[in-house]
Amino acid sequence: MDESTILETRDLNLWYGQNHALIDISIRIPKNRVTALIGPSGCGKSTLLRCFNRMNDLIDSSRITGEILFNGNGIHDSLADVYAIREKIGMVFQKPNPFQKSIYENVAYGPRIHGVREKKALDRIVEESLKGAALWDEAKDRLHEPALALSGGQQQRLCIARSLAVEPEVILMDEPCSALDPIATAKIEDLIIRLARNYTVVIVTHNMQQAARASDYTGFMYMGKLVEFDMTTKIFEDPGEELTENYITGRFG
Amino acid sequence: MKKEQAAPVPFQSFGRLRRPGIGLISAGAKRQLVDRIVGKLLLFVALFAIVTVFFIIVFLLRDGYQIVLETGIWNFLVGQDWNPAGRDPAYGAFPLIVGTVLVTALAMAIAVPLSIGTAVFTAEIAGPRTRSVVKPAVELLAGIPSVVYGFFGLILLADWIRIAFDQPSGSSWLAGSILLAVMAIPTITSVAEDAVSSVPREFREGSLALGATHWQTIKNVVVPRALSGIGAAIILGMGRAIGETMAVLMVTGNAAVIPDPITDIFSPVRTLTGTLGIEMGEVAFGSTHYHALFGVAVILLVITLAVNGAARVIVNRMQATARPKPHRALTAAASRITHAASAPFGRLAHPRTSQRCAFLLISLSAAIVLAALGVILFEIVVNGAGAITWEFLTGSPRDLGRAGGIFPAIAGTFWLVTGALAVALPLGIATAVYLIEYTADTPLTRGIRAAVDLLNGTPSIVFGLFGFAFLVLFLNFGVSLIAGQITLGLMILPTIIRTTEESLRSIPGSLREGSYALGATKWQTIRRVVLPPALPGILTGAILSIGRAAGETAPIMFTAAVFSSRYLPSSLAEPVMALPYHLFVLTTSIPGASTQSYGTAFVLLLLVLAIYLAAILVRRRYNREKVM
Repeated sequence: MDESTILETRDLNLWYGQNHALIDISIRIPKNRVTALIGPSGCGKSTLLRCFNRMNDLIDSSRITGEILFNGNGIHDSLADVYAIREKIGMVFQKPNPFQKSIYENVAYGPRIHGVREKKALDRIVEESLKGAALWDEAKDRLHEPALALSGGQQQRLCIARSLAVEPEVILMDEPCSALDPIATAKIEDLIIRLARNYTVVIVTHNMQQAARASDYTGFMYMGKLVEFDMTTKIFEDPGEELTENYITGRFG
Repeated sequence: MKKEQAAPVPFQSFGRLRRPGIGLISAGAKRQLVDRIVGKLLLFVALFAIVTVFFIIVFLLRDGYQIVLETGIWNFLVGQDWNPAGRDPAYGAFPLIVGTVLVTALAMAIAVPLSIGTAVFTAEIAGPRTRSVVKPAVELLAGIPSVVYGFFGLILLADWIRIAFDQPSGSSWLAGSILLAVMAIPTITSVAEDAVSSVPREFREGSLALGATHWQTIKNVVVPRALSGIGAAIILGMGRAIGETMAVLMVTGNAAVIPDPITDIFSPVRTLTGTLGIEMGEVAFGSTHYHALFGVAVILLVITLAVNGAARVIVNRMQATARPKPHRALTAAASRITHAASAPFGRLAHPRTSQRCAFLLISLSAAIVLAALGVILFEIVVNGAGAITWEFLTGSPRDLGRAGGIFPAIAGTFWLVTGALAVALPLGIATAVYLIEYTADTPLTRGIRAAVDLLNGTPSIVFGLFGFAFLVLFLNFGVSLIAGQITLGLMILPTIIRTTEESLRSIPGSLREGSYALGATKWQTIRRVVLPPALPGILTGAILSIGRAAGETAPIMFTAAVFSSRYLPSSLAEPVMALPYHLFVLTTSIPGASTQSYGTAFVLLLLVLAIYLAAILVRRRYNREKVM
């Protein structure tokens, strides 16, 4: 691969208590591309995703060995600031999780906690972020209504806008469409492709068509191991491993 | 589907987050420091619960163990004679223990069937309309202050017993048990109802789909599944009954005798709590009698702790087996139902007939509970409303409270409650935040939780005794407003911790994750994402605590309250009048003040019920918002 790498793991192992959830993962996530992680339930793809912004820190029983590098810096270095890491590496979750605040306040939340105070700057960030998440046209007349009044698909785009508002370099998406209907899913996929112009997107998905449609690179995981990682077209047309082929042709999963 | 929207604007150029030196390295050191300091502070506050429990126990034991030295533990526990005022004083607590056990047992015999009936009625049978009447009514029953129950029991219930059963006096075991039953009903009903309505829907549907009647479903599937919850409900109600002081003290006659024969429900009895309530006020500090009373408090505490501990064990076991195998319960129920169907001759009645009978009985129990509330409210409102005049509300008492007003009592109650909240709210909320947000399950948090449970189960009279021994005497506050405020504050602390915890727990973890994923610190997340939506729940808990603090007599009887005071307190060091204590003294010690008693009871009732209604309204509104 001759792309420049933004995120990289080296021999990453992770345990939840006794459960060895990730085994010797080494992967290089190319910058400004969409990378999809696929694999059957419980294969560790969400766990790997949550390693990139250290969300696994929140789970007491988790333990990690190996290295994770973001722009060449180890994110577990003793001086690394976990909050700054999460600011640079945003995340969108499986189920939309807007805060119980207005649409505006949801998007403004991130900039506010990072110290932006002036109303004008916030207004602009909210507008830009909502535009970036393709929600502005639908939301601009109801910015101060509760976010929970939006539809599921709109809520998910709001969550994307919310993470855009802190200017991340990477956006991690953990099955962002699994709680959405096909139309909302199509909108989000569309958005993902466009986001890749300015951001690096890593998406975990159950849906192989989604990976094929929306991603540039695909990693196939199985039982905690990264079986294969390559261009999406290569993975889907000419997989190097038999296991991968069996999975994408639907023989198991 | 909408057409393509405007292309996303690349925005690399806000420049607002480009603070100097924002690499990955230590830019957030300050935030992390704040976070760590807040965590330490909260831990420090949370430890307060443990410290309080420790102090309560130390102070009770310190004074209580003397009596064991003086009379011997055996003589104290099983001595048949309690006569501290005689020429030859005797300190045998046995009649008091028996009194407590008897009064509680009969109260439970009355309360349990009525409560379970009411719980099943509201959870299973009542339509939404009826339920929206019965549930708040039961909650209001919980809100009536115990001194108002005592007042009602003394003037109406005891009188009725005297006449109806042709007894020389109506102040008796029976009167105490009936009152305690009414007071325990709301506790049992609401916990049992939770247990019944948390039985998963598929259990009911599975049974109904087999052709079982609604009653067969309730009897064979729902109630067995909810049994451990109902058991916990009964024990919690029992704890409430054992720890009750004022109502019991006012109607049981208070003779320290064991009923002879033991089934004589018209005999007067005296309970552990009643003894403390009556004698603590006039005992000489440091005397044998004083030590004996602390010994009694220790016995009381041990009993209530054992009872509440049992409830906790049951609840824990219930939670441990909460993931049951529905198919097993269902197949068992199915076999019972089909068995009944295949043996038509063995059946006593047609299922529909037995359903009708059962529902009639269940509805009847709910009706009795409603009637009890109705009678109490009616009696006090009808007789009390007449006593309300401008002078009554704004004047000072004259002629030992037979004339004049109760304004100093209203003001005193206000100050007591305000102070109690000022003590308990910050402590309670901080403790709950620490418990829910900052730690996983460690021995330390388990210790804090156990301490909170312990405080929660401690009878209010024991708080009064602790306040007296520690604040009034040991710290030399004297009988004062501040001693009462702190005592009441400690008493409502567990309620505030519990409701705040529950409220925080109901905030989904995904919201916290959403905030962390944006780079927020723990404290930022708590303050901006978790606490705001939890606020209504916390508020409800606070309001309920206000109601409880306003109505309690036992904790302030020896720490803060005086019967007569023409003026308002000018400092925290002065004693105050308080509504519940005023009512207590008027009713029990001042002949010829019945109009004033009714008036005071009415004002107190109105105050407390208004507070409870406010809590119910807040919760309703909150629930509606959540649905949206």
